Amino acid sequence: MTTERLAIPNLGNYTVALAAMVTGMGAEPWWSTYTNDHAMALGIAAAPESLCLPFKAHLGHFIEADDAGVENALMVNSIGTCRLNYYRGMVEEILKDMGRKIRVFGLGFDGFKPPVFRYFDPPLIPLLRNVSIGVEKIRTIDTIELQTAYTRAREVNTGETSLLTERCLRELSEINSKKTVRLFHKDVRKRFEAIAIDKSHEPLRIGLIGEVSLLRDRQLNQNLEQILGHMGVEIKNFFLLGGEIGNNFGISMGYKINTAKQLAVVAKPYLESEVGGHARDSVAHTINCAQAGFDAMVHVCPTGCMPEVSIRPILRRVSEDMDIPVLQLSFDEHTSALGVVTRVEAFLDILWSRRQRFVGRVNRPRRT
Amino acid sequence: MKIGIPRAFYYHSYPRLWECFFRRLGHEPVVSSRSTHKTLEIASAQTETENCLPQKLFDGHLLSLIDSVDAIFVPRILSIVNGHNCCPRFGALLDATRAEIARGVPLISIEINETAEPLSKTLLKLARTLEADRRTANLAVQEAFAAMEQHHREEAQLQQAQCDNRKFLLLGHPYTLHDHFIAEPIVNKLKKLQVPLELMTFGDNNIAPGDILWCVFNKMYRKLQSLDMHVYAGVIQISTFNCGADSMMTERFRRMCKHNGVPYMLLMVDEHTGKAGVDTRLEAFVDSLSWQRANMAI
Repeated sequence: MTTERLAIPNLGNYTVALAAMVTGMGAEPWWSTYTNDHAMALGIAAAPESLCLPFKAHLGHFIEADDAGVENALMVNSIGTCRLNYYRGMVEEILKDMGRKIRVFGLGFDGFKPPVFRYFDPPLIPLLRNVSIGVEKIRTIDTIELQTAYTRAREVNTGETSLLTERCLRELSEINSKKTVRLFHKDVRKRFEAIAIDKSHEPLRIGLIGEVSLLRDRQLNQNLEQILGHMGVEIKNFFLLGGEIGNNFGISMGYKINTAKQLAVVAKPYLESEVGGHARDSVAHTINCAQAGFDAMVHVCPTGCMPEVSIRPILRRVSEDMDIPVLQLSFDEHTSALGVVTRVEAFLDILWSRRQRFVGRVNRPRRT
Repeated sequence: MKIGIPRAFYYHSYPRLWECFFRRLGHEPVVSSRSTHKTLEIASAQTETENCLPQKLFDGHLLSLIDSVDAIFVPRILSIVNGHNCCPRFGALLDATRAEIARGVPLISIEINETAEPLSKTLLKLARTLEADRRTANLAVQEAFAAMEQHHREEAQLQQAQCDNRKFLLLGHPYTLHDHFIAEPIVNKLKKLQVPLELMTFGDNNIAPGDILWCVFNKMYRKLQSLDMHVYAGVIQISTFNCGADSMMTERFRRMCKHNGVPYMLLMVDEHTGKAGVDTRLEAFVDSLSWQRANMAI
């Protein structure tokens, strides 16, 4: 019997690790670290118009999977107040209406043995082995992400870091033993250090907050991280899966980011209740970053995102009170990369002149 | 004290409750006037651009009240029906309002979370913060609930009275169905077309929990589930621009109606909705259904 394939939703570079975990379920993963143009077009054509961009991306991804003959798909379940609750059901119905054969499984909040495990019924030992490889890979990707952000802002030859990141991820995806992943992890830092950087350059530090898919899928955010990095900005993307898992399940992932509880306390003066998604975290990170001396924040959300849009007034208030500029970008299928670049450029001009005003001297990168 | 209540969101979700409650506590409730295009104009200068239409109307109502009252009542609503939740906007409503639209304006607020604590208790707490003695507070709560229940009863009777067996069901949120700007042109047009019309009612909170956690939509879902195609000629759903919840659920309701054999139409209302467009669509829908009926009779 040939193994069935399972399409997994993409979570940016972390999909590499998720794919490793799926292998343990006895299925062959079908994945990509970003939604490609073709999948995007398929999703936009099939989805109800006013649903958010990540929904369209996921739907398109699954349609493309079905075209490729993939038998199963995996979608996250959620129980919050956000629309995400109903996405799995909606994806399933739309695919059925289109006459697609692909089965959509949900994962999370449906008991100890969710349907997807019942279906594949993976033997326990290989599953655990693969999950632990996956966890190790998540840690490695966290490191890659952090190194990329640091190096890309300072690199002498524009684009070198991005290439190395791609290469690292490709190599990582091919490793299938925990020990090798560990060795690879140790090597990551050295590889990034080999890239020539301009030590005199003090990059702007910008925190990226907002909706998860937008933060992680470079197709959806028009490659925002790279745009910023190439303009000499050191970004801190606040969605690090390792930290996220560490907080939610209490597993130590090697370092600590603020837990949801701590963030709630930080956000309290501005936002007292859970809004859904990562909305409260966005507020808390902005406050934290203002105190940590970040130059600015960029808040990304899909157009019409229920939680993130409702906190935009709050972010503007925090921005004013704590004197930290916040650029609010919203993305839909009509957003063009060039539009994003223009807005980012204008924003950075302001930030550099702000720094000049407050610090007096700046070493602005020559690159554009 | 003059307490302003914007005629939006929770004013419609809890009809008559707030006015009665504050009046009984010895305050003067001031409800903003019915929404018009002017309300939107007031809001448009200050509201978040990506807000949904009802939220923009809310902002407009709130802004129109600011100068004429001592404080404005804005609750944080996490759950209206036990075991269900609300649109995420309601959870952020108070904080977002405080942060921008109503800066420096005294707000009276409570956290409504039926899942954690019944509304009557929450109201008693609110009465205490307004310095009412225990007896007055108890009476106020009782009377407020009585007023709301009476309203629900009257409304249910009114809708039930539409016994014509080919009536239309108008679906929407409490705060869209009873909003002057959003639903009034639609209701008026249907009246002009002499179509028997039933507005969705939300008085009954005893709904079987299902996979839909948003209470309003679960109520609509249950209603559609038991919809008799011999009684209802069609379903018209009013949706508002950029309403995230609607974008999800209207699709589902459309499928349900298709499955049940009841014609379904979605009317999207936005800031620029022209009367002619709404009229044309309603006429076309009503006409085509009457033709269908005539064809079936032959």
